[in-house]
Amino acid sequence: MGRYIIRRLLQAIPLLFLISIIVFVLIMNMGDPLVSFAGRNGQVKGKDRERLIRQLGLDQPLYMQYIVWLIGNDWMKIDANGDGTPDTPGERRGVLRGDLGTSVVTKQPVLKMIGDRLPNTLLLMFTAEIVIIVFALLLGILSAVGQYSWYDNLFTGLSFVGFSMPVPLLALGLIYIFGVYLKRAGLPYFPTVGMFEPSVGKTPEQVLWHMALPIATLAIISIAAYSRFIRSNMLEVSSQDYMRTARSKGLSERLILFKHALKNAALPIVTLIGLDLGFLLAGALVTETIFSWPGMGRLFYDHAVKSDLPVLMGILMLISVSVVFFQIVTDVTYTFLDPRIRYH
Amino acid sequence: MNCVFSKRNLMLLALGAIIALMAACAPAVAPTTAPPTAAPAQPTAAPAQPTAAPAQPTAVPAQPTSAPSTGGKVISIAYTQEPNNLSPLYTNQWFTANLFDLFLANALITFNDKNEPLPWIAQEIPSIENGGISADGKVITFKLRDDVKWSDGVPLTADDYVFTWQMVMSDKNTVTSRDPFDSVVDKVEATDPHTLVVTFKEPYAPWMTTIFSRVNSSVALPKHILEPVFQKDGTLDNAEWNRAPTVGVGPFLFKEWETGSHLTFQANPDFWMGKPKADQIFFRIVPDDAAQLAAIKAGDVDIGVFISPSDVPELEKLGTVDIAKVQSGYKESWYFNMSADEATKGHPALQDANVRRAIVMAVDRDKIDQELLYGLTKPALTFWDGMAQADPNIEPIKYDPEGAKKLLDDAGWKVGADGIREKDGEKLKLRYLTTTREVRKNTQAIVQQAWKAVGIDADLVTHPSDVFFNSFGDKGPVATGQYDVAQWSNSPKFPDPDTVDWLCSEIPSEANPPGNNWEFICDKDLDALFQQQARTVDAKARTELFFQIQKMIADKVYWVSIWDDPDLWTISKKLTDVKFSGATPFWNAYQWDKTQ
Repeated sequence: MGRYIIRRLLQAIPLLFLISIIVFVLIMNMGDPLVSFAGRNGQVKGKDRERLIRQLGLDQPLYMQYIVWLIGNDWMKIDANGDGTPDTPGERRGVLRGDLGTSVVTKQPVLKMIGDRLPNTLLLMFTAEIVIIVFALLLGILSAVGQYSWYDNLFTGLSFVGFSMPVPLLALGLIYIFGVYLKRAGLPYFPTVGMFEPSVGKTPEQVLWHMALPIATLAIISIAAYSRFIRSNMLEVSSQDYMRTARSKGLSERLILFKHALKNAALPIVTLIGLDLGFLLAGALVTETIFSWPGMGRLFYDHAVKSDLPVLMGILMLISVSVVFFQIVTDVTYTFLDPRIRYH
Repeated sequence: MNCVFSKRNLMLLALGAIIALMAACAPAVAPTTAPPTAAPAQPTAAPAQPTAAPAQPTAVPAQPTSAPSTGGKVISIAYTQEPNNLSPLYTNQWFTANLFDLFLANALITFNDKNEPLPWIAQEIPSIENGGISADGKVITFKLRDDVKWSDGVPLTADDYVFTWQMVMSDKNTVTSRDPFDSVVDKVEATDPHTLVVTFKEPYAPWMTTIFSRVNSSVALPKHILEPVFQKDGTLDNAEWNRAPTVGVGPFLFKEWETGSHLTFQANPDFWMGKPKADQIFFRIVPDDAAQLAAIKAGDVDIGVFISPSDVPELEKLGTVDIAKVQSGYKESWYFNMSADEATKGHPALQDANVRRAIVMAVDRDKIDQELLYGLTKPALTFWDGMAQADPNIEPIKYDPEGAKKLLDDAGWKVGADGIREKDGEKLKLRYLTTTREVRKNTQAIVQQAWKAVGIDADLVTHPSDVFFNSFGDKGPVATGQYDVAQWSNSPKFPDPDTVDWLCSEIPSEANPPGNNWEFICDKDLDALFQQQARTVDAKARTELFFQIQKMIADKVYWVSIWDDPDLWTISKKLTDVKFSGATPFWNAYQWDKTQ
């Protein structure tokens, strides 16, 4: 098992290099890297444009810029004043030495920017994931146990509605119902946007209260999908021979359900959740945007429209590492759930 | 309870712990790359506590309330874009520049809600009469107020402005723009602590909006804070002050910025015009327009920004907010491609002023504004409407389809067999370009019908705005002349009337790819007038020149407005004395008040 994990980790290294090169080339060809320097209705022009391209190193060939991103430029000299002779020592250390660079837009270290947003995203996404798993399991198992009962039909109907709901529609619908109309009617309500009320301050109670609607938005759609998945897996397992054997042995329905049915049905569900966990760090762009939640999805989007390469690379590499990591974790989890699976 | 189930739970808890650990690690690394200061109390602690929440939900309410209650009169403003940073050196962004009026309000001149100049840190507006401007127009002397202090008690002096000029021009700083300091300014000197002298290479009229002005974000930096940083780091690029300008000079001081969430500014009790009436200004970043609208309706924000005209009727019905229509200098306009050069050539009919006039007469622009913009605005008469230089005597071109037909007949464009006019075998078919914005596409459709009625055919083309506005060098469709009539919104260096868009020298070409004259108009008389006004420092004489310019543009139909394009804000009825200026919206924030 230990050797298996080490082998998987070593395999991940070339994969991450390949990802970084592809992503780097894509971002470099994605738009005007100086767009964030422009004013209200325009572009950076003339002398300012020439100067900034030189100062930001954008006049260097693409492979050179990648190398600087990877291993830094403190071992070489750069031409900062445009007189044609490189005479200023570089200051970047590169990603391999832990320097993700500095944002072109905010002039902040990328690591700090991600560090500011990650807790918000994890708070939102992780809580939502728990809600999703709990409710999806509950509804899925209930539906499977009472196949074609009235509540199975009800959940089936609701999940089709939930699953086909576009995120913006659901989010704004919740905002209007719980944030605008309930408030107007003088009933208990949920806030529309943000993490807290400015007049109260950022207390845990305020944050929890403000989390309700975004989590509902994230959860409703995923619960709809996952509960269907769990239901069909449970049903498939229920018709297996070993289930009949278990029943004929006279085991209790409860034991059959949890020990025999759920454990076997859980395998594909764990795959699904394992994939999810890797992407939790990425946040949820649309939900974060509508609810003004300061998470990673918005950080990525805000800096994508401004072609801010260091930030985009930092976020994408972080997500890549996390996805690779959680896939390995998922594979290892299999051995707990299915004794037939052994890794060597 | 079943053992498998609890094992799964354990797994999830373990995963949760790993994620929480990763989250906790990231902020902890940050201080090694950025020296910590007292500055933005980054709430690493606050979110970290609730992160643990999912695992142990009971723990949350038990957490002590660490964030202090702010209280007082808080005015909250919805901002659809987040500031890039808070240093005037490093951003030109409209959303950020507005904030300088709160914490860095040290522009020499500011502009009021009528967009009139007011002396601000300068004791009076320099002119030739009061000796502030030299007779040759090349030297401007500013007498600065001597009662203004930075929030740490250090006086604001002319040295701060000189230092700012040095930082703008330093090769060590990747500043956003050096314009116009690198082109027209010879030197900036402090002859005594409260006298600032700016020497120009040639007489320069638009100084009010470009020299230490809020309009182009050239306000002054605190020398006593930033000079040591520059000496130590060799650059201001990484200065902590760029993100946490804890020392300021305005009515409100920077307090906190939680990225993606909000910025707060606290009243400055020592503000030189007296303590502001509000205690705090709170900017909530609300990137989604529909969510902003909901927050306005719920009363969760006091001021809303960039409201769409289509939302105005509903907001007016609410009764809780006022709509502020603020002149921004922008005018939605028609531009004609007058190029005769083969590569950038426009339709030959456009060379005739009467044809251009007929094209405009055929369209009922008032009706477009009524239907598409809910009557909130109407066609501007001149490019300078709403400014001191606007000529009130310019006659609008009236909607007159019969007159248009006659003008076209007289110009030799006769109706052909298919109902489209033609001359010498060439059809009067115009390529009409605009961006993909909904209201623009709708305008195109209405105009196409109106033109059809007088025998003009239109080929409607739309491009996304990033493509549409590309320069000649980047092969933009308008800049390379691939159009006949184009529609977009533009403004002079508002509130200064200067613009370079009609200069012959700005015609884009292989030799001049960044050129701004996308109509390819080169009228020697107009060119001379534009060059002359830019050197005329006497305000009255300059206005005279602009009257001549406007008459020429109107007579020759070089430019026509479809609608004036004001900024729309919502202001809660709880607020008083909020008087936005189009140029410097928050100029009077110290007077804003809120009733409960």
